Amino acid sequence: MPEVAAHSPDPFVLSATPGTELAELDETLLAAFRAIRDALTEGRTVVVVVRDSDLLGHGSPADAALAGGLLGLTRALATEGVRQGWRVNALGVTGDVDTAELDAWITHISESTAINGELIRLGNLHLGKVPV
Amino acid sequence: MTDAAVVTGAAGALGRAIAERLADDVDALLLIDLPSESLQATEQSLSQSTSARVTSIGCDITATNTPSSIVKELASLALSPRILVNNAGINRDSRATKMTDEHFRAVVNVDLVAPARLAMELHPLMPNGSSVINIASRAALGSFGQANYAAAKSGLVALTRALALLWAPTVRVNAVAPGLIDTPMTASMPKDVLAAMIERVPAGRMGEAAEVADLVAFCSSPAASYLTGQLLLICGGRSIAP
Repeated sequence: MPEVAAHSPDPFVLSATPGTELAELDETLLAAFRAIRDALTEGRTVVVVVRDSDLLGHGSPADAALAGGLLGLTRALATEGVRQGWRVNALGVTGDVDTAELDAWITHISESTAINGELIRLGNLHLGKVPV
Repeated sequence: MTDAAVVTGAAGALGRAIAERLADDVDALLLIDLPSESLQATEQSLSQSTSARVTSIGCDITATNTPSSIVKELASLALSPRILVNNAGINRDSRATKMTDEHFRAVVNVDLVAPARLAMELHPLMPNGSSVINIASRAALGSFGQANYAAAKSGLVALTRALALLWAPTVRVNAVAPGLIDTPMTASMPKDVLAAMIERVPAGRMGEAAEVADLVAFCSSPAASYLTGQLLLICGGRSIAP
């Protein structure tokens, strides 16, 4: 049986940086994958932060591809790590969400043992839009 | 100019089925895949079985100069790309802890970066009413041992939305996400593994490549003229099953 990772109160937070180029997408996603995997195998919980507008495709195609790619990573690694106790979630945020609110959500979902592989969307942009 | 469909990954089972189905809707097919006897055989076979003019280009879809080469070929053949199907894809599955950088990069480049570059290169040539269909995967919702594949396909879905917004109202862009489809690749899986996977599909069977092709044809047809930026899952209900 695989060992269950101990819950860490010290989450690893990975934020997508806007302004990505298509040419660097492979390296950017690879770096994210390695960083998330390392954090999970160290027993840390992970929170991936992306812009909700990128998930909806309102930004550049490359930024959308990166945000969507990070969401795919989140879901795949959560699925894969169920038995090991990996917990990785994503936050989709809009520009008007203040830092304190964002920090509170990062703390909340990284301390929760009930949420995994989920996208929480902060702000109002997602209202009336497709689930992503 | 001749009305054409460009299909990548055309020598594979799914690509071939898509090309064959689209041959009913366009006057010419441009088949793209790695150089192989299989690609030549597909070109020959479709030339005989359909009324479309069929041409193939053997190339590596991830090579930097490939999109411009395809554009040149379209021009030289006087083809107008009304339909682009980004079907080419690979997987290199392994547990995340064992996944190599090389396998991660390869999947992202073939399944995400290459379709983006090809669509953007072809877009200026696409006439009003054109359609791009990106072949994603149900696995983008989460799948064991497929971190690279899920990242690439989920990225492709978000890219689909961005391009749909960017190119509306002249070019529609949608994504089709197949689940378990009966192809030589799935047929080569251990029987017990495949049976367990089928058991989780509410439809009780694998999908047929022709069923995916029909959905692609619908998305690219005038019947879907109000459809853009959407993800259509064709997975026999697997994406909602327990």
